[in-house]
Amino acid sequence: MNKLAALIIGFIVFVFSQNVNAEQDWKAEFDDICSKTNYAMSLTKDEIKSLIKRCDNLKPAIEKLDESAKKVYLKRLQMCRDMFVFTLESKEQTEK
Amino acid sequence: MKKLFFVLFLILVFAGITLAQVGMKKKRPLPQEYGRSIINNYSEKAGMSPVVFDHWLHRAKFTCRLCHVDIAFAMKTGGTDIKAADNIKGFYCGACHNGKMEHGERKVFEACSKKITQDDARRCDRCHSVGKTVRKEYDFAEFTAKFPKERLGNGIDWEKAEVDGYIKPIDFIEGVSTKRPSFVIQKDFSLAAKVEGLPDIVFSHKKHTVWNGCEVCHPEIFLGVKKGATKYSMIEIFEGKFCGVCHRTVAFPMTDCQRCHTKPVQ
Repeated sequence: MNKLAALIIGFIVFVFSQNVNAEQDWKAEFDDICSKTNYAMSLTKDEIKSLIKRCDNLKPAIEKLDESAKKVYLKRLQMCRDMFVFTLESKEQTEK
Repeated sequence: MKKLFFVLFLILVFAGITLAQVGMKKKRPLPQEYGRSIINNYSEKAGMSPVVFDHWLHRAKFTCRLCHVDIAFAMKTGGTDIKAADNIKGFYCGACHNGKMEHGERKVFEACSKKITQDDARRCDRCHSVGKTVRKEYDFAEFTAKFPKERLGNGIDWEKAEVDGYIKPIDFIEGVSTKRPSFVIQKDFSLAAKVEGLPDIVFSHKKHTVWNGCEVCHPEIFLGVKKGATKYSMIEIFEGKFCGVCHRTVAFPMTDCQRCHTKPVQ
């Protein structure tokens, strides 16, 4: 009986920690991507393209958040993405 | 009696023609009202007064970037879908107005909460104050008394106020903001004035990025990636587009011509 209780508690802790990790994962990825907007102009085109792709990959994780967090972070992610697209286009225009 | 009606009729016709020709002069806002936003997405529907948001107080304490990028407030009044539930969860106004954050020696009051008591109702009125006489914690004249003055807008030279140490706008909130390295500031440039005799415009990237960062302006407001790619006129700016997004509502107004039309970049 004790073993069963320990297993259940262990399972609950495991599920909870997975959720916490998942939350930390998307936030860490978000912060890492958006921390680069300040110096986007000094990145290479490939680096910027990679950041845009990372924005797109992150979007589904943010869409799973609750209404308030989703609303705020989708807008913030979009702003970062738009900034990278803008920078990329700027670089391409300059090369022409 | 017929004569009286005729005279009234003439007065109305005359007034109509006059107004149609010259329009109604827009009242210039008082310094403390300049930049004020009335937010009413859900307030009245929820039986509350709309929110009065004073830009002058918030801009003195926080950078534009902090609120419009990190907290995700839209650049247009009513453009943010703020709900009390969002504030309670620590988003939008609730990012600071959470009853925990300290600014200077003051604790920032909680914006919205689930349980409402008699005291809370008074607290609600601090923001939901349209049509109410609410004693504000900060008085504009008192707060800005020593600040360097300017002619228009709030009547304050905000830039100099920061240089002189009267304000120190915060640009980072732990748990909300993204840690960023310092800026790689893009070059300043000049834009040729379209009217002969009018000095060229100096655009300083440095001055704009210090409070705005990059994302506030690009690409939402200024889409063109190459200098001169975005064509705009003073009419569009006065309509609230491009520079007019801020320099008509919060930053110094465009009627202060010589602050932009100054001289070619040295």
